[in-house]
Amino acid sequence: MLMASLHFSVSKVSAADMLKMGVLQEPKTLNIWRAGDRWSLKILGLIYQPLYVRDPKTLELVPWLAAAPPEFDSKNLCYTVKLKPARWSDGTELTSEDVAFTVRIIQEFKVPRYISKWKFIKKIETPDKQTIKFYLESPYAIFVSRSLTTPIVQKKQWEEVIKKAKGTEKPLRTLLRHKVKKPIGSGPFTLKDWRSGAYIYVIKNEIFFGAGKTISGHLLGPHIDGIIFKVYGTSDAAILALKKGSIDMFWWGIQPGYMEDLKANPDMEVFTNEKSALYYLGFNVRKPPFNDASLRRAAATLVGEDFIIKRILQGYGLKMYSIIPPGNTFWYCPDVPKYGVGLSREGRIKKAYQILSDAGYTWKIPPIDNSGNVVNGDGIMLPDGKLMEKFTILTPPADYDPHRAMCGMMMQEWLRMLGIPAYSKPMAFGALIEQVKVRRDFDAFILGYGSLSLDPDYLRNFFISTNDKRRGWNMSGYNNPAFDKIANQSAKTMNRDERRKLIWEMQKIIMGDVPYMPLYNPKLIEAARKGKFTGWVQMLGGVGNLWSFCQLKPL
Amino acid sequence: MELRKYILRRLAQITVIFFVILTVLFLLFRLAPGDPVSRMVDPDMTPEDSERLIVQLGLDKPLGVQYLIYLKNFFKGQFGYSFHYGEPVVDIIWARLPNTVLLFTTGIILSALVGIFLGKIASWYKGKKTDSIMTVGALVTHTLFLPWLALILIWIFAYKFSWFPINGMISEEVWLDPDNGFITKALDVLYHMVLPLSTLFLIHFGAYLLIMRSAMLETLKEDYILTARAKGLDEKMIRNKHAAPNAALPVVTSVGLSLAFSINGGALTETVFTWPGIGRELVFSVSQNDYPLAQASFLLIAIVVLLANLVVDVLYAYLDPRIRY
Repeated sequence: MLMASLHFSVSKVSAADMLKMGVLQEPKTLNIWRAGDRWSLKILGLIYQPLYVRDPKTLELVPWLAAAPPEFDSKNLCYTVKLKPARWSDGTELTSEDVAFTVRIIQEFKVPRYISKWKFIKKIETPDKQTIKFYLESPYAIFVSRSLTTPIVQKKQWEEVIKKAKGTEKPLRTLLRHKVKKPIGSGPFTLKDWRSGAYIYVIKNEIFFGAGKTISGHLLGPHIDGIIFKVYGTSDAAILALKKGSIDMFWWGIQPGYMEDLKANPDMEVFTNEKSALYYLGFNVRKPPFNDASLRRAAATLVGEDFIIKRILQGYGLKMYSIIPPGNTFWYCPDVPKYGVGLSREGRIKKAYQILSDAGYTWKIPPIDNSGNVVNGDGIMLPDGKLMEKFTILTPPADYDPHRAMCGMMMQEWLRMLGIPAYSKPMAFGALIEQVKVRRDFDAFILGYGSLSLDPDYLRNFFISTNDKRRGWNMSGYNNPAFDKIANQSAKTMNRDERRKLIWEMQKIIMGDVPYMPLYNPKLIEAARKGKFTGWVQMLGGVGNLWSFCQLKPL
Repeated sequence: MELRKYILRRLAQITVIFFVILTVLFLLFRLAPGDPVSRMVDPDMTPEDSERLIVQLGLDKPLGVQYLIYLKNFFKGQFGYSFHYGEPVVDIIWARLPNTVLLFTTGIILSALVGIFLGKIASWYKGKKTDSIMTVGALVTHTLFLPWLALILIWIFAYKFSWFPINGMISEEVWLDPDNGFITKALDVLYHMVLPLSTLFLIHFGAYLLIMRSAMLETLKEDYILTARAKGLDEKMIRNKHAAPNAALPVVTSVGLSLAFSINGGALTETVFTWPGIGRELVFSVSQNDYPLAQASFLLIAIVVLLANLVVDVLYAYLDPRIRY
């Protein structure tokens, strides 16, 4: 009786044009300045819009809120951006004042995550409602790709909040603690209802600036009435819900173990896309034994990429030879030094042995015997004759990321075959980050970035010597003046092709010195139900993207 | 007079224990490796951004100063803001506490009622088939791994038969329909409660059954039971009116304490069923080094458990004047 009455109720209100998506967590906040977790950013990405976004096919930046590509006046270091006619979801006009206001918030409050992209702006002018001029202090290569992709907020909604925050003892804290119940955005969707712990409901923004227009060859909607994000505590529950039809899509990467089951299901459409990701083994190059590049190169030679891809990732991953993922085609350098490619396990051990022998390493029991056969090596000694002490490879625990934990164990085994006393040590993620990034007390670690920016400036960030400080991103402690010089030059080079040459050079230097050893780039597996919606747009980073939500159509 | 002294002494002890808990909680989270900012693995965050956030969170101050602020805020009834949500901790806890209490209190009461009833029956038929089935059944269900049982129930009753929802506490279809009133929404919550409640029931009723059975077996050896039998009283009356009320005392104590702990929720149950309660939040706050939220959640549990202990002790002392610990 109870079930019957509720089932009746369900069927009564189900909307055919409503997309239901499963998510693992709900957003932590709707305050865009506070939002740092991916769930908040996913939802807010449908509401707050930037001036430029990436085209799904070419990955080039295309005008979104902007009407055209930015015009650059190299003499005055000024970018001029013209806006499309657009309105906020409350009906008011989106103007250049809103854009300038957004930047002023970031600059005045030094908003973390955004200030690094906007601190080089000297002045902003808004000659008219549709035009903004950004004057740079000095040439700043990432301005277009990183700064102009910042979400724009409405001046009307934030003006009072900002005024109030400025009057407090800690303005930034007040700004970050401000509770946003109903964000006013310019995106294709607007928030309708949020029941904490249950669902978030966004509906079509009827006055979305892109509706019915073609941007970068894509005719935009949205053609669906809204999206309901349902929270599932575990992937198991979400996948059952997907198979049952309670949701139309699960907005999260699916483990390869589910693939067979999903592929066998005729109602399921499975998408496999590349990610802009990097999973790597980092060395502490500040101290022995990994202050020696020969040892790092030998370790890189031992990495069995095929084993990692085929066995650990079950075929759903790509080999990584550089810090920049191969999917980032414009910036990826294919000519970096590679180690042990195509060699068998024995071949790798022999090659690594040769690298270390040439560098002056000796063994009590060499891993290659007099007949040239591979044996278990032991007692490796550094070039100065000292016995190599045992060292640890820190990894996240298997319940946090089984792939990284397994890679740590495999690295331990591969290194031990050469007589290198490696020990893999899984530890809680927070403790691992503390040890590596804050205390810098480690030998080696395995970490990763699941969603790297498409602009390769992180390469500079990760390895420039000035970032070798507490909480800095140069966790390995890499210090190479030649690299620093090119890296600094790359940050100022406004010509894209010129900058690419520098970025390629940086990749070659890094892969020659190997402070980080790229391990793999996992593929993103997503699944949606067939027969209800069509128009998923596949791109780097998966089908759960702005383009899909603007183009999905009910069948 | 003596009882009053006893209560005052217990209150003083509880106050000391509470201060110890207050301090241990503060130190425990601060001394654990990692901080809320170092977890932010975002290449856009510069070291300067991180330091600025640390200042905003008040974590730049010496530990002693942080402790004094913590104590001062506690006495002012302020538990601070969650590092992660940026919202007052009290609001976050109050939003989730009723959900936890609803599910877990119902689960414990239901398990206890059934457990006491079946325990009574099992002891009465000691050594017979009924007793064996009940005892073994109780042992099996009580030792099942909760997430496994929960997933099996979901798979059978939610996925295969579609009788119940897979998870959650409410259906968006019901709650978004303006035509639906309170009754429909309440029924919707009940509908969602069936599977998590069944899981909790299956896991917990066995414990109460075993406690009750054991207490009953002891009680049945008492002289007054023999007297009742000698008086020729009906077996049912002896079991239900004479033995069971006396045997139920340890179960009642156990239920009382379980009810106190029920505000803690159950992280596993709440995670598998996506029940928006405090248990999930507690685990999340600890894993994210969200000190204010974790501290406040644990303090709440400590207060309720200490008070429940006090109530039980006072009741014992009241009921049995010989008790003065």
